[in-house]
Amino acid sequence: MGSSVSHAAASPPSIPPPPPHAVGLAGVLPPKSEEKSEKKVDWLNLPCPVPFEEIQREALMSLKPELFEGLRFDFTKGLNQKFSLSHSVFMGSMEVPSQSSDTIKVPTAHYEFGANFLDPKLMLVGRVLTDGRLNARVKCDLSDNLTLKINAQLTNEPHYSQGMFNFDYKGKDYRSQFQIGNNAFYGANYIQSVSPHLSLGSEVFWLGHQRKSGVGFAARYDTDKMVATGQVASTGIVALSYVQKVSEKVSLASDFMYNLMTRDVTSSFGYDYILRQCRLRGKIDSAGCVAAYLEERLNMGVNFILSAEINHPKKDYKFGFGMTVGE
Amino acid sequence: MASRASSKGKGKAARGSNEQSTARSVKKWSTWAMKKAKVITHYGFIPLIIIIGMNSEPKPQLSQLLSPV
Repeated sequence: MGSSVSHAAASPPSIPPPPPHAVGLAGVLPPKSEEKSEKKVDWLNLPCPVPFEEIQREALMSLKPELFEGLRFDFTKGLNQKFSLSHSVFMGSMEVPSQSSDTIKVPTAHYEFGANFLDPKLMLVGRVLTDGRLNARVKCDLSDNLTLKINAQLTNEPHYSQGMFNFDYKGKDYRSQFQIGNNAFYGANYIQSVSPHLSLGSEVFWLGHQRKSGVGFAARYDTDKMVATGQVASTGIVALSYVQKVSEKVSLASDFMYNLMTRDVTSSFGYDYILRQCRLRGKIDSAGCVAAYLEERLNMGVNFILSAEINHPKKDYKFGFGMTVGE
Repeated sequence: MASRASSKGKGKAARGSNEQSTARSVKKWSTWAMKKAKVITHYGFIPLIIIIGMNSEPKPQLSQLLSPV
């Protein structure tokens, strides 16, 4: 996309100026010749694609906000341009995955202390909860093109900790990633731009302890106004998504997921309004679930959050409210 | 000849078990190292971030670290 924008700026306008007394519609509409001029595709200078795990990021941002139930309060205090501390309180119910179809909710309350260090070359984010769990994220630029990312959740209970190391290599018009995780998980993925709008990628993973492996393919087509993605995996999952940017403030997203093994179909449709003082996201699901998430900016740095999720078939109603202070 | 064959067989078995025991000890040491690394990370990650942050420019004051304002 970057190369096509620079081409449009470089080509000089070649239209004659409109007559001074234009008649009817011709005087009102802007001259259209800039769009009609041929933009030659520079096949050797394709843009770098988005990382493989972010291939559906527009759809995920619009359709999967962080819905919660209860009270949430986040306070971020910056000591420095790069260093900040965060305090976060949560009181509410969290869902526990259960075998039966009933949802089991466990009331929890925790305080979370976090420290962030953000540098262009090194990013360290750590969060520790009152029950001793640590969430750690490290992103380090080893060189111009090579990045190391570490993601870990450590607990006090044995055998429940998880960690993942990712090595990312960014080439001129491709990206590749190699992952090593606990429980002998190895994965690799590769994504390549094949045209200014289309990029294709594939991934392969291997689980050591269960001796399972899988292959997946993904494609992403994006323009200024829309993004369409498709993903197929050998685990039997087909996922398609489509996001249309209707205007600067409004975008609509839809998502379709089909599981070949269990013959499960999930489809959702949502909207995302980004207005000056608030951001409102809503979605409706094929499982009968309606959700909405509102972030309202009350003042500089103070945000008020409302979250609602209504699951009609299961009769599960979740409402949450909260406040975020600080950036 | 029979004794030579049997001694050869015993030598091979000894070498095989030697390799097996080195592989086992390497595995034991790496598991021990991973356990220690996990404990160190669990207790030391957030203090490490705080130390790196307090030493970055411009240096914040210690009072800023503890006060809620």
